[in-house]
Amino acid sequence: MGSLLLLLPLMMTPSDTVSPAAMQKLLPTALFEWTFAEPSKTYTGREIFHYMDGAGEVYLAYGFQRLLVQRYARPGQEEILVEVFDMSLPRNAYGAFTNMQGRGPAVEIGQGGEYKSGLLDFWKGRYFVCVMIDRENDDAKKAVFGMAAMISETITEQGEIPGIIALLPQADYLPETLRYFYRNEILNIHFYVADKNLFHLNEATDAVLVRIKSDKSYLLLIQYPGSTEADAALADFTRQYMPESRGSGVVRTENKKWTACRKGRNALAVVFDAPTQAAARKLLDKVQRRIR
Amino acid sequence: MSESTMTRRDFLRTTAAAAVVGTAAIPLLTGQKKGKQAKVILIRHQNVVDTDWRVDASIISQMLDEAMVNLFGVKNAEEAWKKVVKPADIVGIKTNVWRYLRTPVELEAHMKRRIMERGVKESDISIDDRGVLSNSVFARATTLINVRPMRAHNWSGVGGCLKNYIMFTPSPPDYHPDSCVDLGAIWKFPAVEGKTRLNILLMLTPQFHCMGPHHFDKEYTWLYKGMLVSTDPVSVDAVGLKIIEAQRSIYFKEPTPMRPPVRHIVAAEEKHGVGVANLRNIELVKLGWKEGALI
Repeated sequence: MGSLLLLLPLMMTPSDTVSPAAMQKLLPTALFEWTFAEPSKTYTGREIFHYMDGAGEVYLAYGFQRLLVQRYARPGQEEILVEVFDMSLPRNAYGAFTNMQGRGPAVEIGQGGEYKSGLLDFWKGRYFVCVMIDRENDDAKKAVFGMAAMISETITEQGEIPGIIALLPQADYLPETLRYFYRNEILNIHFYVADKNLFHLNEATDAVLVRIKSDKSYLLLIQYPGSTEADAALADFTRQYMPESRGSGVVRTENKKWTACRKGRNALAVVFDAPTQAAARKLLDKVQRRIR
Repeated sequence: MSESTMTRRDFLRTTAAAAVVGTAAIPLLTGQKKGKQAKVILIRHQNVVDTDWRVDASIISQMLDEAMVNLFGVKNAEEAWKKVVKPADIVGIKTNVWRYLRTPVELEAHMKRRIMERGVKESDISIDDRGVLSNSVFARATTLINVRPMRAHNWSGVGGCLKNYIMFTPSPPDYHPDSCVDLGAIWKFPAVEGKTRLNILLMLTPQFHCMGPHHFDKEYTWLYKGMLVSTDPVSVDAVGLKIIEAQRSIYFKEPTPMRPPVRHIVAAEEKHGVGVANLRNIELVKLGWKEGALI
């Protein structure tokens, strides 16, 4: 019973699926003379591959449920393409947003947004939203911002940022490099560790990867449902990634940089590519105080 | 868990041994020259595309013809196209229409024109991307031509000529696991195997980095103004990847391997026997504009 209680915070189940009609209501019918170019299209689950090929796997790895695509047209102007992803849970929407954050300047739309080169993306509640144009001009850019703001206002729910983010040493990392996830495939997109899932990442775990300001090393934090799962992952990682560390939890890798890991109660902290052993240990010391 | 796990350290180890930059390319460079060989033509022209990405139809046509003349070792374009198409052929041109970086229509039109000059009926030629499985010409095709731009990809590392054929499977997601490592298997499908006479990997404005699924930003492209041409899809992808990795090192000012690592190119050779991934076994012929070739 005790372990079940420990699992509860992480074993979040998707809330009810949002119907296409309800998703459609999130969108304005017109803005600045842009109107629907055609009826919207929806893609549920693996149907996302009818809209995008392999890239759809990224959204599925974040618990994607349904995509609504709406195109807006205005004579003589850029087409505006709106994609609303129902990610089923706020943590998934947040993860999908962090997966591509750092593209450009932040915008105050939704619970976190960015705009660059015609693409404005943001997350709010269970939704991740992209509003885009192919070629920028003043009117079309204004419409993109207006459209995104209207959608954001229509989404009434607010999502919680996963608690693991608060465990990071806030002043030490580059915010735009933060990636939140719980699947090995996403980890490997941002920092390739191994083809096998050495950290035992799954829906019951929470993970965050950041780059450290001072030396550009990588800090990976993973929270497990309990200490047993964290122990198992640590054992697998050290055995297969750093066997010569002989339990010290630190090793100099082939690029002459340092990898070090440490376990808290139900969490692992791993530093990759630290310039020195001391730098790796110092960072882990700082993190360990938070994951104890 | 298997002891044969491939880790980042394995890539780093090979990197150190090969003393080269860029982890993902390392497997392409290892080993001695042996086994299958391939020939790749890299042709570039300073004026094929302008800063607004307008393509010069005449130049891109000449580039393809010249590349083919050199690839097949013949005297002129007419002879070169004879190596690719017979009058009785039914020809499918597998293109790529991704909205941000598609195969230029000017090049598609040139290929179609050349194929018709060979005596192929217009009704026996089709240019298609996502609809190849429901396309009656592709269903009857005796010859395929594979043409697409090179770009970074958030799931497979890069999208090149190998990945362009994923539309020949009714279930593309079946080939997504492990960063699309088994894309080479598609090239053994009956609809495909032995039919592809030409692979053209466009490097006019390659995309060397992406920040998310189906992400595109012109900032992560550059005017390379080239194309890679071969009968082997694996070797054009291998060379294209090497060029993209070189550009990443320049842009990011540090070795920045493709993310995720590109696994399907080496696997196409080593696991599926489709072509040649090892650069040592690829004869690279460089034509045209030389500045900034990166290889």
